[in-house]
Amino acid sequence: MPDSTVTAISPVWALAGATALGLLVVLAAVLDGLLGARATGAAGSTGLRRPLAEATRLLRQRRRTTVAADRLLWRVGGAGLVVVALMMVTVVPLGEWTLLDLDVGVMWFNAMDVIVWALVWLTGWGANSANSLVGGYRFLAHGLGYELPLMFALVAPAVAASSLNVGDVAAAQNRVWFVAWMPVAFAVYCLGVVAFSVWGPFSPALGGDIAGGVRAELSGVDRLLFDGGRYALLAAGAAFAVPMFLGGGSGPLLPSEVWVVLKTASLLGVFVWLRRKLPAVRPDVFMELGWMVLLPAVLLQDLVVAVVVVWRG
Amino acid sequence: MGLRESLARYAVRSAHVLVAEAPGANWHTRVTVERHVLARGWRLASSPADADVLAVCGVPGTELAGALDLVWDQLPGPRSRVRVDGPDTAATALEQAERDLLDESAQRDDSRSRPTTPDMDHGGDGDGDMDHGDMDHGDMDHGDMDMAPGGIPLAGGGQDRDGLEMDVLHLRLGPVLPYWPAGLVLRCSLQGDVIVEAEAHVVDADPHAPHHGHAAGPIGNDDHDSAAIFAARRCDNAANLLALAGWEEAATRARSLRDRLVDGADAGVAAASVAELSRRVARSRLLRWSLRRVRPLSEADLEAHGLPSHLLGDPRDRLLAILDRARGALHGSVDTSAARREGVTPGVLPHLVTGLDLATARLVVASLDLEPLGTSQEPAHA
Repeated sequence: MPDSTVTAISPVWALAGATALGLLVVLAAVLDGLLGARATGAAGSTGLRRPLAEATRLLRQRRRTTVAADRLLWRVGGAGLVVVALMMVTVVPLGEWTLLDLDVGVMWFNAMDVIVWALVWLTGWGANSANSLVGGYRFLAHGLGYELPLMFALVAPAVAASSLNVGDVAAAQNRVWFVAWMPVAFAVYCLGVVAFSVWGPFSPALGGDIAGGVRAELSGVDRLLFDGGRYALLAAGAAFAVPMFLGGGSGPLLPSEVWVVLKTASLLGVFVWLRRKLPAVRPDVFMELGWMVLLPAVLLQDLVVAVVVVWRG
Repeated sequence: MGLRESLARYAVRSAHVLVAEAPGANWHTRVTVERHVLARGWRLASSPADADVLAVCGVPGTELAGALDLVWDQLPGPRSRVRVDGPDTAATALEQAERDLLDESAQRDDSRSRPTTPDMDHGGDGDGDMDHGDMDHGDMDHGDMDMAPGGIPLAGGGQDRDGLEMDVLHLRLGPVLPYWPAGLVLRCSLQGDVIVEAEAHVVDADPHAPHHGHAAGPIGNDDHDSAAIFAARRCDNAANLLALAGWEEAATRARSLRDRLVDGADAGVAAASVAELSRRVARSRLLRWSLRRVRPLSEADLEAHGLPSHLLGDPRDRLLAILDRARGALHGSVDTSAARREGVTPGVLPHLVTGLDLATARLVVASLDLEPLGTSQEPAHA
């Protein structure tokens, strides 16, 4: 094992990490509020205060339950998304500092994003309501389509860096960022992040046609946690893209920590902006795209990366 | 108390409103309520659990009133229920809703008077194992009543489309559902999320009165057959379809076009905007890919079901046709009163949605460009 390129810091800093993720969530929610207000022609100020007003509203609202709900699993699913997002950011190095210097950090991220499958589905299942359950299965249908391409997209940077340590992957990009020569893997990775955050084109699981789907029966703090969790996943996904594809903390003038945050916020902004731009991808036909187009494309990308690594090595 | 109050005030700034429309001549009222909701920075709710306010447009009949009571029970609270009799009272009704939501003591009384467990719960708490309702033991034939966890009987079995035994679930779509024709109820039998059987009716429809476009057209409409209103309704239908297809930006655009037409925008300018939206929709490859193969209708299908010619093709073709009709009406090339008469009757819906899953069934219903379904209830005498 070569010496690690990043330094693990005291777990107390996890609080700071959580706060940073929270700030990113607020930033994303404010941006979404502004874009929403602009689209509907409401005053900009209503968009600016929307996330906070929305959170206050949900905290004031009563929790509700349904007939014979599977309460434990329902609440576990709803609250779990935030936890998973927090787990994801533990392996993202902020410049040269990281909370968890795992040798298998890339797999760790992948494992976390698979947990989202269970959590979203459980939220749909627990309410004992047809609409929620349909939503839960829609998410699984999307999951079948996006998960394998996402896994193989994560393989490309790991192969190029010959390491599953996130810090090493970031350090391997000191000359040229991975996004420059593995654009397909980057695009598929971004699609995967949008998909596991049940966001934009991948939100039929929360569709208006099934009364809000997975969250059809959620109210009050449960809904706040679920929606906050989606934003947190989106932010964590954007943060993880920085060491994997966007050169980690490298950049001129500013310190590396600032670059990580800037890159994360920019990618997160793109994700948020994208939400309104595209129609939904129907879960029942997405497999076709996922396995017939994305999977071969990303495998080809992996092959190219592997050949380059062998040829250089 | 001061903090509590200001927090409540802040919370109410982003209240969510579930809009229910009684069938009949309440389209204009519903549109006005939606506009006021958005102008206040409030939002439209997607389900009862998401709503703080239940706004009922028009006078509900007995059947719709029953459904509204069920919906009302599901609002988490603090909650407010207002009735909007006409477009003029939309603003005052929402102000009333705001006052209701801020009235802490009334809300507290309301919450005390509600049962702590949901309605159908028969006391026995902690029956957490009820969920085997969805498991596959259809052929075991147990008496239905003693296996009714939480008061809900277990699903019965039936042959699915592959000839396998599968549970059948009964689900009603409507009458209070976003992006759904006012007053329409579709009772579906589902296997998984596939509709295997369906039956459609309009709530509180008087069986003796003609209640769909064929004979009478929309009854006693306050906004007669003006071309602009015809076009506005088309834009509203297009907005619903776009929203169901998950394309928020295009849906918002269609909705704002609708609003401009209701406000009496210049026909030429509006037609140009419709054309622009139409081009955008036509350009989207993702939409084309997503909507293709969703219950395409051929000439023969149209003839068999007695459907008008503009419903030819898949939902994307029909969406473009909706926008074309809007533009045609604005140019004066579509005879709007004739077009209104050739509407779709609820009777054909079951044929069109059977065999589809919920998502595509919703897309198909929205793509039919329905005229408002008539009723015996009129706001005029309210």
